[in-house]
Amino acid sequence: MSGRKDREARRDERLQEQQAADASARRQQLIKLASAIGFLAVAAVLVLIVISQSQSGGGDANNLADVADVNQSLGGIPQEGMVLGDPGAKVTLFEFGDLQCPVCKGFSEEILPSVIESQVRSGEAKIDFRNYTIIGPQSTPAGAAAIAAGKQGHGWNFVELFYRNQGEEDSGYVTDEFLTAIAKGAGVPDIAQWNKERKSPEVLSAVKSTTSEAERLGFTGTPSFAVEGPGTAGKQTLGTPGSSGEIESAIENAS
Amino acid sequence: MKAPAEGTLRGIATFLATFGIGVATYIAIADSGSGSPVCIAGGHGCQTVAESAYSHLLGVNVAVFGIAGYVLLLACALLRGDGARMAGFAFALVGFGFSLYLTYLELFTIDAICQWCVASAVLMTLLFAVNTIRMLAYVGRPS
Repeated sequence: MSGRKDREARRDERLQEQQAADASARRQQLIKLASAIGFLAVAAVLVLIVISQSQSGGGDANNLADVADVNQSLGGIPQEGMVLGDPGAKVTLFEFGDLQCPVCKGFSEEILPSVIESQVRSGEAKIDFRNYTIIGPQSTPAGAAAIAAGKQGHGWNFVELFYRNQGEEDSGYVTDEFLTAIAKGAGVPDIAQWNKERKSPEVLSAVKSTTSEAERLGFTGTPSFAVEGPGTAGKQTLGTPGSSGEIESAIENAS
Repeated sequence: MKAPAEGTLRGIATFLATFGIGVATYIAIADSGSGSPVCIAGGHGCQTVAESAYSHLLGVNVAVFGIAGYVLLLACALLRGDGARMAGFAFALVGFGFSLYLTYLELFTIDAICQWCVASAVLMTLLFAVNTIRMLAYVGRPS
């Protein structure tokens, strides 16, 4: 009787040991599986990073985006130099921007279109783009190229198209080839003349002088705005407004 | 060192994921249209980050991906078993890795810090730690 009990006890013990060994082996297998899943998760992150980097690339002279869209959105609005809108408009909105600045690009795409449609197209206000070069060395040739385009009545097309195709800050994308592609896309009629003027001392010094003006006005970042009209005493600084509504209200108060 | 009870880890993960859904939802709503999240501490960091080229992935606000990630992590925290333990670890690893990348962009590319994004990155880091401990300590063991 006692021998049978011992045998049963030993069998139970072996069974338990077997179950424990099976559970341990299963656990090891699951941890290996989790490691493989971990590798897949890391691969998924790398794919997300590649997508993020590729879509934020920009700066491709051979593949300009939004050429028709930009030219259509500005169509029918007068331009003179870097001023967009009716030269006789009572209120002037000054935008101090850097063509390499990603926040300026955001303003150009999200905030200014509403202002341009509601108050510039109607003749209530005009916008004067002024270079405030703070990002890096490539900001100066970019700004000068915009001014040279402005001399042929296409400054704003140049600025807007540049923003839509902006690349990584100071990554070397602001080449002669890129600037020429933007100028052509913006509809600058005489590219040879534009090429000559964008490198002229007069235009390069204009970029410097508006940058100094922005600093005198106390601005520290781009884009920064100021407004001037019958309701203001000289240029009234707005800093970096958070919405189209803030700019529109400032224009109304200045008129 | 003994790992905390699985119930405790699941409770912590539930709290963190729920909080994360709130943060990501605020960023997504604030960033819709032409707005941007408001930095409680002041400054334009949140606006700068929201308007950068990196705030969207395939045309979708990254905060929307964040909401989806936190919802999946919440589901893993609420469910029992090895499937939930391993899925929680995998989702948390993806979220943690992408948060690291976004934080790198804020510091070295965009040159601006959005406190809401930092809050989300901290939550993802904690969720990764909790889910890793849960997976290593309890996978293959009865719930």
